[in-house]
Amino acid sequence: MKKIVTSLFFAVLCSIITANAQVRPVTGTVKDEKGRAVASATVKVKGQNSASVADENGAFKINASATAVLQVSAVGFKSTEIAAKTTVVNVVLMSEASELENVVVTAQGIRKKSKEIGYAYAKVSTDEINVGRSPQLAQALSGKVSGLAVYNVNNSVDPQVKIVLRGYRSLTGNNEALIVLDGMQTTSTVLSLINPNDIENVTILKGGQAAALYGSAGVNGAMIITTKKGAKGKLKVAFSNSTNFEQISFLPQFQDQYGSGSHYATSYGGAGYKTDYLARMQDNWRPFENQQFGDPFDGKDRVVGRVAESGDKLILPYAALDNQRRNSFDMGVSTNNQVSFQGGDETSTFYLSAENQKINGIVPGDKSERTGIRLSATKSYKKLTVGYNASYSQAKYDRTTSDFYYNIMNTAANIPMDRMRNWKTDQFANPNGYYNDYYQNPYFSADNYRTSYQDANISGAIELNYKATSWLNFMERAGIMNNSRIQKSWTGKFIYSDWAKNSAYVPAPWDWANDYDGIDRAGTDILGAVSDYSRTENVLNNEFQAQMNKELGKFSNKLVLGYSTYQRKTKDISVGSSSVVVPDVYNVSNRQGELSGSESNSTERKYGYYADLTSSFNDYLTLEGIFRYDYSSRFYKSDRELSLYAFPYYGVSLAFQATEAFPQIKSWVLNDAKVRLSYNKNGNDNMTLYGLDLTYPNASGFPYGNNVGLTVGNTLPDNGLKPEFVTSYEAGTELSMFNNRVNLELTAYSSQSKGQVITVKVPNTTGFSNLLINVGETKNWGYEGDLKVQVIRKGALKWDLGLRYSYNDNKVVSLYPGIKQFLMSGYSYASTNVEEGKSFPLLKSTGYYYSATGARRVDPTTGYPLQNTAMVDRGSTLAKHMAGFSSKLGYKNWNLSMNLEYRGGNVMYSGIGRDMTFTGSGKWTENRTPHVFENSYYLVNGVETPNTSLNVRESEYSLWVDNYRFIAENFVNKAWFIKLRDVNLSYSLPASLVSKTKIFSGANVSVYGRNLFTIVDSKNFFTDPEFSFTTGNGIGINTSLQTPPVRQFGFNVNFTF
Amino acid sequence: MIKTNYMKLKSYLLVAVSVLAFVGCKKDYLDVNTNPNQLTSATPSFVLTGALNTTTQNLVLANETGSYFAGQWTQSNSYILSATTFSYNITNNDFNYWDGMYDNAQDYQYVIDNATASGQPYFKGPAKIMKAMLFQYIVDMYGNAPYTEAFKGTAALAPKFDDQKAIYANLVTLLDQAIADIKGSTFDPAYASSDVVFKGNTTNWIKLANSLKLRILMHQSRVTSLQSYVKTELNKIAADATGILTADAGVNPGYIATDGKTSPIYNRFGYTPAGAAQSYGRFPRVTKNLFDQMVATADTFRIKRLLYAVGGENGSNPGVSVKAEIMDNYKAVPYGVSSGYTAPSTSNLGPSIIVKGKFDAPYILFTVTEAQFLLSEAKQRFGADITFTGTAQSYYEAGVKASFKLVGSTDAAATALLTSGKQDADFTASTDKLKAIATQKWIALTHYAGIESWTEYRRTNLPVIPQMNTVTDPNKRPLRFFYPGTEFGSNGANVTAQGTIDIFATKLFWDVD
Repeated sequence: MKKIVTSLFFAVLCSIITANAQVRPVTGTVKDEKGRAVASATVKVKGQNSASVADENGAFKINASATAVLQVSAVGFKSTEIAAKTTVVNVVLMSEASELENVVVTAQGIRKKSKEIGYAYAKVSTDEINVGRSPQLAQALSGKVSGLAVYNVNNSVDPQVKIVLRGYRSLTGNNEALIVLDGMQTTSTVLSLINPNDIENVTILKGGQAAALYGSAGVNGAMIITTKKGAKGKLKVAFSNSTNFEQISFLPQFQDQYGSGSHYATSYGGAGYKTDYLARMQDNWRPFENQQFGDPFDGKDRVVGRVAESGDKLILPYAALDNQRRNSFDMGVSTNNQVSFQGGDETSTFYLSAENQKINGIVPGDKSERTGIRLSATKSYKKLTVGYNASYSQAKYDRTTSDFYYNIMNTAANIPMDRMRNWKTDQFANPNGYYNDYYQNPYFSADNYRTSYQDANISGAIELNYKATSWLNFMERAGIMNNSRIQKSWTGKFIYSDWAKNSAYVPAPWDWANDYDGIDRAGTDILGAVSDYSRTENVLNNEFQAQMNKELGKFSNKLVLGYSTYQRKTKDISVGSSSVVVPDVYNVSNRQGELSGSESNSTERKYGYYADLTSSFNDYLTLEGIFRYDYSSRFYKSDRELSLYAFPYYGVSLAFQATEAFPQIKSWVLNDAKVRLSYNKNGNDNMTLYGLDLTYPNASGFPYGNNVGLTVGNTLPDNGLKPEFVTSYEAGTELSMFNNRVNLELTAYSSQSKGQVITVKVPNTTGFSNLLINVGETKNWGYEGDLKVQVIRKGALKWDLGLRYSYNDNKVVSLYPGIKQFLMSGYSYASTNVEEGKSFPLLKSTGYYYSATGARRVDPTTGYPLQNTAMVDRGSTLAKHMAGFSSKLGYKNWNLSMNLEYRGGNVMYSGIGRDMTFTGSGKWTENRTPHVFENSYYLVNGVETPNTSLNVRESEYSLWVDNYRFIAENFVNKAWFIKLRDVNLSYSLPASLVSKTKIFSGANVSVYGRNLFTIVDSKNFFTDPEFSFTTGNGIGINTSLQTPPVRQFGFNVNFTF
Repeated sequence: MIKTNYMKLKSYLLVAVSVLAFVGCKKDYLDVNTNPNQLTSATPSFVLTGALNTTTQNLVLANETGSYFAGQWTQSNSYILSATTFSYNITNNDFNYWDGMYDNAQDYQYVIDNATASGQPYFKGPAKIMKAMLFQYIVDMYGNAPYTEAFKGTAALAPKFDDQKAIYANLVTLLDQAIADIKGSTFDPAYASSDVVFKGNTTNWIKLANSLKLRILMHQSRVTSLQSYVKTELNKIAADATGILTADAGVNPGYIATDGKTSPIYNRFGYTPAGAAQSYGRFPRVTKNLFDQMVATADTFRIKRLLYAVGGENGSNPGVSVKAEIMDNYKAVPYGVSSGYTAPSTSNLGPSIIVKGKFDAPYILFTVTEAQFLLSEAKQRFGADITFTGTAQSYYEAGVKASFKLVGSTDAAATALLTSGKQDADFTASTDKLKAIATQKWIALTHYAGIESWTEYRRTNLPVIPQMNTVTDPNKRPLRFFYPGTEFGSNGANVTAQGTIDIFATKLFWDVD
């Protein structure tokens, strides 16, 4: 390296001085890095016009002086320069592709050759990302990287995701990977805003060791997104259009045998109790019930709801309507149009893109739109290279805040939801006439409770590289990101008519003695509400590096000294009113009473110094050592000791290229073998902002006018709070076999976190509910394997397969003295927990009392199953096993790609199951006839007696609502799934055809689908296991608040000009 | 050449500027860690104000449960019957008033600990009285509880439990201290508005302390071994010239017509600030047995104050029912019945606590009527052993009159009831005086003091309340609550040390039969 540079220097210098040096013929060959001839390479004398083209054997001949420099270039290869000192010059060209493949952007933008890297990483290219044309990056990565779990916790027009690498490590703190966009540390916000097509590639640094140079933010690994910068060549314009449809892929299993009804029949023991269950069911039926415990559908005419003010009645056959729940949702349609321009010359490149995407969701009325532009460019001036990128995107969302899904569950199968859409015009869809006494018409709620918000994101970075000398380079990168959100949420005003309040009646012959006049829910008028919210987030990031390269004998050394600063500020403001005076005017000034409002601010700062020394011996043994010293404002107070807020950490890794060290082991079977080892200790400032202070917030409700009331805060911070430390070990190997047709990568890792900053639940009798303290030790370990096989390479036929598997588990080694467990989130009957000696999050729930043979205890008198209120372990909610399978088949202009993902080994709790047992809409509640509770026993004088003949007392109602519903174990399932993440069939129009158009240089059409099928456990009647009611750590519990899972399919056309 | 140099200079400059701008951060760069959102210090006056209001928010929930268990309230059938409340399907995750009350009591402790140092010593007494009240409730709901080791933060992260009797004894001492503290300091009238109970009237605070002592002592009055202690302490109250409450003690932090800032009862069972009925108002209903008890004594005056006629309140004529206020239009719900009594077909809670637009009625902590009934019972039980000057009958009649006044009826109506000749209404005509006292007290406390009513029911087994429809065993009644799961989860050893708790069998120390 040094040699080339110095000779180059002299060559340039001398060429100026001795302009008329003697010219003689120079010959040579041009070969690629594998020794194959490069035909048609251009060889040129620098600074002159003379040029020559290599023949098919790569041989060339040119006239040049001994001081001349030859410039050699070829399509698909990196150009190079070589001095023509001798008359025979052999040139090796590095292919552009292999150059790109082998260079990895590691932490802090440091580029490394694959063989120098001593830890696990994965690189996903733009093609792999865009297989399914996913509008969002995170979903596009699902199943494509071993050890990476993307949780699609909710599906709406603003889908929520959670990204976790290698499982959970932190008990209560952040477990999500750091997101780095073009060298800039950002937040997961960008994931929903960035156009996946703008991405050149994504590098996943799987462990903390890989991302240690990012400081504490990198402790959970990092996702490094590199956007397209444009490439040298003539202007290339690409246009793409995708049209995408989505429909519900998974609804809970509904029953369609029984209509509206609740517990109106006289209960057991009451005077007039009917012993015939059918008679009781008959009594339970009501035309205005949300629960579905009426008598069986009989197809005969019955009234739905009450008599409307006009005197009209809605009389319909008492029979289930086909697919009524599914049809209540819309077919979602979205379109995406984008255009990009790129080009460049010897010293500059640019890339410009614009995108617009419109989504109409499956929940009626929900929609979103995203528009973005991105520009990046580079320019070189001799020693200085300047690059910048800037993007602006804005996204608008308009969604209902009502629980549409839940409202649908509260609607029996015989209710014609189709006609309920027009609540403004149809008297039976209007709240005054809607049949359901307890819940609003879902379509009215969807229209009446809404939120709309608009996000604007500006981000940009400039990067300067100054090559001071051949071995010293300075890099300076400054980036900003600014997000803003403005949001308005409102509830429309609706005052019920007097008829609805007091007079609407159930007409004969369907009336009952204890029905009353007036719609129950009409007692509460909806007075409207409005709240307005805005948030800004501003992130500044600066990086300065001095990069040194020096070869000392057989050692090639690279030292990076860096300095980094990070600042993040946020501000949230909200104002609201709980009433609206003039309907449909949603401004807080249009109100009665006081304004409500709040304000929240945050600023955090960090800076750190780091050094990264990479030393390679003979190109086959690389040792890398890193050291970083961080300062974090989260632990800073002017009176605190330095050691509490400043913390050093370090790591070391080793990469050994066995096949280069011992070439004799190389054969057609084993082409390449690499072994890597790493050890790391990361410091982490994972703590709530401003957590050092005990606060005295306003007591609930205060201020009342001028009266101020405070309360002592509930979280007591420990005095000695300091950053936590994570120690990790990793070992792996990368093998290339059978003439590079088979690639296998294996990794094992383990990490241990000590002194996590945890909010420990302490007894309220201490005066506080929580204590913030450094405690706890957790262990996290796992294995990853990636196998890539080029199955077929035969002429135009290409078939590649990939298989990825990872195993991850964790364990709580210790908590706080005296504390063996604490609750993460959930309900009193089903929750996620942290418990010493077990993996976390641990799902616990109430359940059955089991006999030795696994039968379930029932009450010896009533036959109802008995609830064991003890919270029993059900297992971890985090998938232990994850596997991905991908296939890519190409024949001539056709390409078929697909990705499958499996996750399993975990459990889930479906809150929706409990809700649907209450409403009686779940298919599992279908057995309403008198029956013995399946597989049960009871105790007779303490002896377990199998139950063969004791029927449950009221199987048509109480069994389900009062008994079965409370046993949370009924809604706990194995959470495994297999999903066809994406599939894409594309066809590129033949070049011969395209060229005839004289407009296009390329055209491609494709059809694609995402999540086309999902397979889950046979007992999982409820929902997609990926869904969760939180993006926090307590994943694994879902409710009806998540929009149901969908499958998507569409087509895409691409043109390049 | 010049151009190149210029370029070079420019690039050097760029590098230099960025280096200068970003290298060399000092410590003060990190000095951004002062909480900009919440206060990091407080003063006792603000904390006391907050705590008093929080107490009412805690009590509104506890009192609701108490009202159900005391047979005063039940539930309409517009909802599925709450299995925890009406089938006694109770676990240690239900009825956790513990955490809220400890959290609240810690605020009072803060005032007690900081009042003198902050130059507001006159708030120490009131804080002690309120702390005593909360602990009385905690004991009445849970028995043994952390007291001496409570509120010590990291110094005692697993506070040990004190014996319930000892806590009760401590509370009496604490109230004595409170009275001494109040007498020993002069109230600064500038802080009158911080005292959202008595506006700085310290005499009233002493009266509240005496009344609370009276309550705590009378709770123990059936424990044989404690009777002489109770009598001695009662006589101390009698000897204090300040006496007991003469006006209902209520909290009003300055309720305003804003969401979450109306009186907690109005907010829960009444209306939104803008005047829409709260849907939860459709839930609680007066029980048929309470209703029948009043019907039996022709106590229609209080019926029409405790209940609205079916159809509820007339929004345009607040305080008055939509339908004619004749007895035929009032309908109560049989205790724990699961069907047939939907909200619109039964009577809402009445104008004595819910009047549309009256969002600022004080939340009553202690009623005069209760104090009078306590005195009546003391006299009835201990006769001349205690030195209060009135008789059981005079206190009883004062209690009934105070109840009529409290619900918005008249002295004349009260007198009519007292001279009706009916059992458990007319003292003279009542054969069992303690039963009459308990029955009238039960009616008088309806809507105002649920937990206290449940305590009195457990202590005296009066009046006789039928079992709920949903419970088959006629004798199975909750006698206390489980220690909450939160305490068990974080202070397990100390909770376990309290032995196995059976909420249907493990009696509190004052529950002697």
